[in-house]
Amino acid sequence: MSTISLKIEFGGGLELLFANQRSYSLSIPAIVPTNNRTTPTPPPTPDQPQEPVETKPADVTYLIHHMRDHLLKEREELFIEDDTVRPGILVLINDVDWELEGEGEYVLKDGDEVVFISTLHGG
Amino acid sequence: MSCGNPQTEQDALMIRRKKFDQARTCVKCKTNSGSIVVRYAVYCKECFFPLVASKFRRSLEPTINPITDGPRRRGLKASGNLLLGLSGGLGSTVLLDLVNRTYFKEPSTENGIEKPRGGKDHPRNGSVWAKTAVCYVETCSAFSGVRDKTEEIRAVVDKYDRFDFIPLRIEDAFDNAWWENIGGPPTQQEFGVDVTNEDLFLSTFATGETDSPVSCLKNYIASLPTQTAVPSAVQTLTRLLLLHTAMMTASSHLLLGTSLTSLSISLISSISQGGGFVVREEAQEEWTPRMSVDSNTTERKAGTVRTVRPLRDIGMKECGIWAWWNGLHIVGRERFPGGRQSIGALTKDFIIGLERDYPSTVSTIARTCAKLAPKEGADSICLICERPAQYGIQDWKARISIRSFEDLSSASYRPSHFPERIIKTSPTTPNPPRSPSLTPLLCYACHTTLTSRSIRGTTTNSSMIRRQSVPLPVWVNSRFDIDEKSNGEIWARTQMKGDQMKASIAEFLLNG
Ligand SMILES: [Zn+2]
Ligand SMILES: [Zn+2]
Repeated sequence: MSTISLKIEFGGGLELLFANQRSYSLSIPAIVPTNNRTTPTPPPTPDQPQEPVETKPADVTYLIHHMRDHLLKEREELFIEDDTVRPGILVLINDVDWELEGEGEYVLKDGDEVVFISTLHGG
Repeated sequence: MSCGNPQTEQDALMIRRKKFDQARTCVKCKTNSGSIVVRYAVYCKECFFPLVASKFRRSLEPTINPITDGPRRRGLKASGNLLLGLSGGLGSTVLLDLVNRTYFKEPSTENGIEKPRGGKDHPRNGSVWAKTAVCYVETCSAFSGVRDKTEEIRAVVDKYDRFDFIPLRIEDAFDNAWWENIGGPPTQQEFGVDVTNEDLFLSTFATGETDSPVSCLKNYIASLPTQTAVPSAVQTLTRLLLLHTAMMTASSHLLLGTSLTSLSISLISSISQGGGFVVREEAQEEWTPRMSVDSNTTERKAGTVRTVRPLRDIGMKECGIWAWWNGLHIVGRERFPGGRQSIGALTKDFIIGLERDYPSTVSTIARTCAKLAPKEGADSICLICERPAQYGIQDWKARISIRSFEDLSSASYRPSHFPERIIKTSPTTPNPPRSPSLTPLLCYACHTTLTSRSIRGTTTNSSMIRRQSVPLPVWVNSRFDIDEKSNGEIWARTQMKGDQMKASIAEFLLNG
């Protein structure tokens, strides 16, 4: 299975939710389940045969789920809400506002850098 | 047919539209590919920095000279020093950076922070304000499980090597040593307030009975009736500590890092907590200290402090990107523990969600509030928050509120047309001598903060004894005095007759 390598960085204090580590390098599968499930589906059993899993190329929405399931250390409600980042968290993809790149639907490429910045720490 | 702003109109209809207009090219230079979307407009990285810097200057500079909005071609010269309030949050960290870049940095050091030649007291490095200090108020004593961030904040300020750092603690609001240190009149007697009664009767503490500033603070916080009241009270204490520090440092300006987003949050949250009367003060205000400063400690007699929020047209998103692209370290500011259901926290969630989905509505909130003006004029200054207050709030509350039997009986021994002010016990009162009431001297919002109970009932964590004698901040304490000749009755100090106290209260004090 082919994978893509990514660099993730945190700003604005968001790293506090991720073991206080400012940057991570990680690999994710290039093709992922459409439902953003990040753990392997359980093996089929006689009364529950394996359903064919719908797939898509890995996008930022999948990355957010991957981060929640594998990197986040505490208080997931401060990071994820309704399958996307919580309002007040900015995302830059290769130093460009993700709103210009299709937000969660942006399809990740090998070597992409994604930055998550919290603006929730007030004035 | 409409003549309004089409962008705002569209948001008003709540039609979700694309996050940016037209192409991905920068709207400013029309050449570079865009890097950020700010309220539907696309900017490249190069054009983003001047955009934020000019919004900052446009908000701040009309307020620098003593006459606001006057001609500035002759240059900018403030009448006093500068004080910056730094919370460690995103807005104030960006503010500190913008002030440094705009007014202190030499042109040759455009990128990165470099030390000024000649040091922080060199005259070249302070043309607009002679001196600049940064004040941080540590609030960890008000909450359990919150770490002290003073040293982290000090490190942020020290990086600039040109600002004096003044660390305070929220409990200083109950500390006579702090009060006397900034030139406040010595406190002769400390007072407690009975928060179980809406009249907020005052009583004296016996000498030596009062606790340390931290336990006074904790007692004050524990006495508050709702979760919503806690952040409001802490905010008011912080604001007054900053204002008094501005006075002490002979500052004409106190700058706060309130962004457009936080301003909208505080406006809505303030209105929903009864602060509608001072909605304009939330955006910008002038405060005149009641005391005059000892001329030995400062060269400038205590004058008016102008509080300005130069980021009020800059959203949180722009602040976040500014901080990221400039490599600013955000120490962070925690949510008040247990305050998630407070009006402030709920408003914050609401506004931030709104800003993401309908980016123009948040600036509409701030603009609309700027146009609001209270119908009736202010006739006094609230003793706790020192903001304009309307006389007679207790009458109004009495008319609109659903009262308990207990409240009715306590209000029954004075005619409703005769509002109780700070008053010597009436000889006709059948009950034992009653103490003076703080209520007539407070604004609606502060009265609400101290007394308004939520539907879910009163707090159960504090004993009634404590709630009947809750300590008051030092600036409130110093407003009262004991009249030795009339059996220790509590009187408002003559100082209260200052210019700010308008006829109603002042007249009463003169005539007794
Ligand atoms: Zn441009
Ligand atoms: Zn008040």
